[in-house]
Amino acid sequence: MRTKVFGVLALVVPLAAMANPENYTIDPTHTSAYFEVEHLGVSNQRGRFDRTSGKFTLDRVAKSGSVELNIETASVSTGDNVKGSRPRTLDDHLKTADFFNVAEFARMSFKSTGVKFVGDNPAEIAGNLTLLGVTKPVTLKVERWVCKDNPMSKKPMCGGNASGSLKRTDFGMKYGVPAIGDEIRLWVSVEGYKD
Amino acid sequence: MQDLLNNPAVQSSVAPFLAGLLAAGVLFPLRLGGLAAAAGFFTTVYLVGDFTLESLDSKRKLVLVAIAAPVFGVIADLAFKPTRASGPVLGAVFAAAGGWVFFNLLKQKSGLDLALHGAGLAAFVIWTVTFSVALHSDALRAGAAGLGLGLGAGVSAVLGASALLGQYGMGLGAGCGAFLLLGMIFGPRVTPGTTLTLTAGAAASLVAVGAVLTGQLPWYALAALALVPVAVLLPLPKAAPWMQAIVAALYAAAAAVAAWVLAWLASRGSAG
Repeated sequence: MRTKVFGVLALVVPLAAMANPENYTIDPTHTSAYFEVEHLGVSNQRGRFDRTSGKFTLDRVAKSGSVELNIETASVSTGDNVKGSRPRTLDDHLKTADFFNVAEFARMSFKSTGVKFVGDNPAEIAGNLTLLGVTKPVTLKVERWVCKDNPMSKKPMCGGNASGSLKRTDFGMKYGVPAIGDEIRLWVSVEGYKD
Repeated sequence: MQDLLNNPAVQSSVAPFLAGLLAAGVLFPLRLGGLAAAAGFFTTVYLVGDFTLESLDSKRKLVLVAIAAPVFGVIADLAFKPTRASGPVLGAVFAAAGGWVFFNLLKQKSGLDLALHGAGLAAFVIWTVTFSVALHSDALRAGAAGLGLGLGAGVSAVLGASALLGQYGMGLGAGCGAFLLLGMIFGPRVTPGTTLTLTAGAAASLVAVGAVLTGQLPWYALAALALVPVAVLLPLPKAAPWMQAIVAALYAAAAAVAAWVLAWLASRGSAG
């Protein structure tokens, strides 16, 4: 019995010693959230949020991690931002109480509740998305993940792409459904530098 | 049928008008024809389908306060004799309710900005409710004011803020328009009471304030809108009720259209 305990300890203690959570701060310049929604059953309209912040931790030995991503809703951009003679642009409309209601909900956030690894890299991130004051679970599938030194600054960095989907009506964003689709596809491109 | 009910024009004009006409037609013998305004407003709220209690943002709190307006109105009509103080008191109550509705937006402001927005909100709601409630015994003027306030706030909100708030305003206007139509046919037998005038004044003023706080509707569009319940006090011709109703509606429309024009000019002038 004693031999078995020592055997297990001999296995676990070095692993525990190796467990090394690394903290990263998101690089807002190279981190964006993109979305896609069906419009009038005809085409898919795409847009992005230009301003993000957050952090993530990664422990490749323990195969664990966490992510917290904050997105400024007022930074929504579809490319239609020149009003001309119209009362407002598509971006202006998305900021109103019909959609993101940026005057009242300036930020949406994603906080992970669990990260699944395949090999050394995260493959799936379960978490809670808070949008318009409503928090619902959303799962992001990590499609690409790379850790390396920045070729210029030599700073250690990690980043990748993840995607998922949600129903906007779950978050109380009901305006225009079904003409403007309920299902939203999300893509997040993240880069972060080690603290 | 569902496609039809999903059409914003049906949601905010045809359906609330029919609901208002039904409510006014069925309930006016009971002195509750004024519920046409609430019928129109809540038909639009139902069809737009945004309302939920899960995340109580300002536009959903606005709906809750709008539910209170016809309730207060019915109680006032059936249980109390109207006095001169009714309008200002109800105005103050709904201005305070407006503070709750827009609390999340007001708390982001500070100092002079907060004072101006808070005082402006209160003054506009008190003014609009007071002058609306004062029309409680005049079917044609009250109906015309409700029509003008609803459409004025609604179209201004579409131009300056949100389509959803705009639809709420237009639904209210359509319900009041249905009441006015009944007034054109039956004349003074149809009584709006505080039920219609309070609902129209409170809901329209909150929709307009919401458009200022959540969008880019300029404050001076509210000044034009505030003239609606005053404009209908202008003299009406000594003619048949239908003719008087048309003239009263034109008075209201003049102020409402002024609000639209100001909203339109502001939206064209702002950056972007």
